[in-house]
Amino acid sequence: MAILEACLLAKRFGPVTAVEEVSLTVAEGEIAGLLGPNGAGKSTTLHMLLGLVTPDSGSVRLFGLDLDRHRTEVLSQVNFSAGYLGLPGVLQVREVLDAFARLYGLRHPARRVAEVVGLLDIGSLLKRKVIDLSSGQQTRVHLAKALLNEPRLLVLDEPTAALDPDTGDRVRRLLVDLARESGRAMLITSHNMREVERMCDRIHFMSAGRIVASGTAAELAADFEVADLEEVFLKVARQ
Amino acid sequence: MTLDMTTVPETTTVLPPLSAAARRRRISGVVRRDLASLRRSPIRIFEIVFWPTIELVVWGFVTVYLQASKVPFVVSMLLGAVLLWQILHRASNEVAIGFLEDIWSRNLLNMHVTPLTTTEYLSGLIVFSLTKVVFSVAMMGTMAYLLYGFGILTIGVALVPFMGLLLVLGWSLAIVAISCVLRFGEGAQVIAWSLVFVFQPIAGVFYPVSVLPSGLQVVASFVPATHVFQGMRDVLGGAAIPWDRMAAAAALDVVYVALALALYTVTLRHARAKGRLSRFGE
Repeated sequence: MAILEACLLAKRFGPVTAVEEVSLTVAEGEIAGLLGPNGAGKSTTLHMLLGLVTPDSGSVRLFGLDLDRHRTEVLSQVNFSAGYLGLPGVLQVREVLDAFARLYGLRHPARRVAEVVGLLDIGSLLKRKVIDLSSGQQTRVHLAKALLNEPRLLVLDEPTAALDPDTGDRVRRLLVDLARESGRAMLITSHNMREVERMCDRIHFMSAGRIVASGTAAELAADFEVADLEEVFLKVARQ
Repeated sequence: MTLDMTTVPETTTVLPPLSAAARRRRISGVVRRDLASLRRSPIRIFEIVFWPTIELVVWGFVTVYLQASKVPFVVSMLLGAVLLWQILHRASNEVAIGFLEDIWSRNLLNMHVTPLTTTEYLSGLIVFSLTKVVFSVAMMGTMAYLLYGFGILTIGVALVPFMGLLLVLGWSLAIVAISCVLRFGEGAQVIAWSLVFVFQPIAGVFYPVSVLPSGLQVVASFVPATHVFQGMRDVLGGAAIPWDRMAAAAALDVVYVALALALYTVTLRHARAKGRLSRFGE
């Protein structure tokens, strides 16, 4: 079943076309990657899928429901994490997680917070203020926040960008396990091509606001007649 | 294929999103977050005490001076005005600050991708602001009694409608200020601090509106606070509670709240359409 269906999304900001005719679907248990050079329209696309930006045309359906008309129902089963977002810096990590557990309307906030703290191995950070954490630690807290409501769709913008290789590897494995075992769908942007190759079932390349290629990592490499995804990226970026 | 609501199965983790329990839980998320934020910000606790104290001390000495000049009722009227003004000022500022803190911490987008509705978000900010207003007024009331012998309770039962009407006006002004920030960006946050002061000279906080030019008197009659502060002077002067004024203020409050919510809805829609909401995450 399609968790996410975006159909012919378009967005212009004044004279600039940010996104044009973007259509994509993400199925249950699928990890999809959205790649492209800076300014390709990835963030605008993600923000339209989350209802932060209203498309000029096109539609977004999540779990078969129109996002605009069923915002509260839909967003209770979606979550988002992005490196460029912050969390209230003066709060302790446990206070942040408690607040978001409630904002997502969880039945048992304390119990679920304890579970995600275990998953992300951040027990030692609970009593520390967010502002005092390293960027890698903050990323883990963001990911913990993103898992609180056991989202059926998880949207991640550069999920492991600030993590060291060991922690990055653990987080990637955790995310892949979550998708495989619980059928969670994920949509990920990343500039780490090895990460995308390892994690994503399907990859969409964006350039100048459009999806210019889609497929598995192997299919894309074959289509572009190159060895790997990194070279596909370079070809797309330099076209 | 169009699927019905059964395609969003209830989970053991999340309360049914449209249930009253889920709504209460989400509002409690906003309130608990802001309370935790206040607890961990000594500067903000200091600010709650500092500004009302300064205002009370300055106006208190002015009243002592005027009292020595044999101006009748001056202590109670000026100190009553200072205390009621603080309710309006705090109610407006605290709600706006709750919103601005989301911008300052780049947390606004996180809030907007939760299932939290506009009503729930604003309700959370309002409930939190109420705790600060109550604390602030209780502290000022105690000081006014200890320093100048003025008991705010001498206003009597009229204090309840006076406070309620000013709180509602303050919250509606905060929603207007938040809308301005959404529309014009962070640069407009000065409006959050200053909007309430536009009403201070017009509403006749410290003097009767009869001293205003006739044109401004007409404008003042459309400000709910005008009726509250005049009502306070009437009550402290020995008259009965002017219920006609209270009714007028209540009706105006309803109009102010409705207009503020409409403005917020329009500006949020505009911010989403123009991509301005996304820019608060940059």
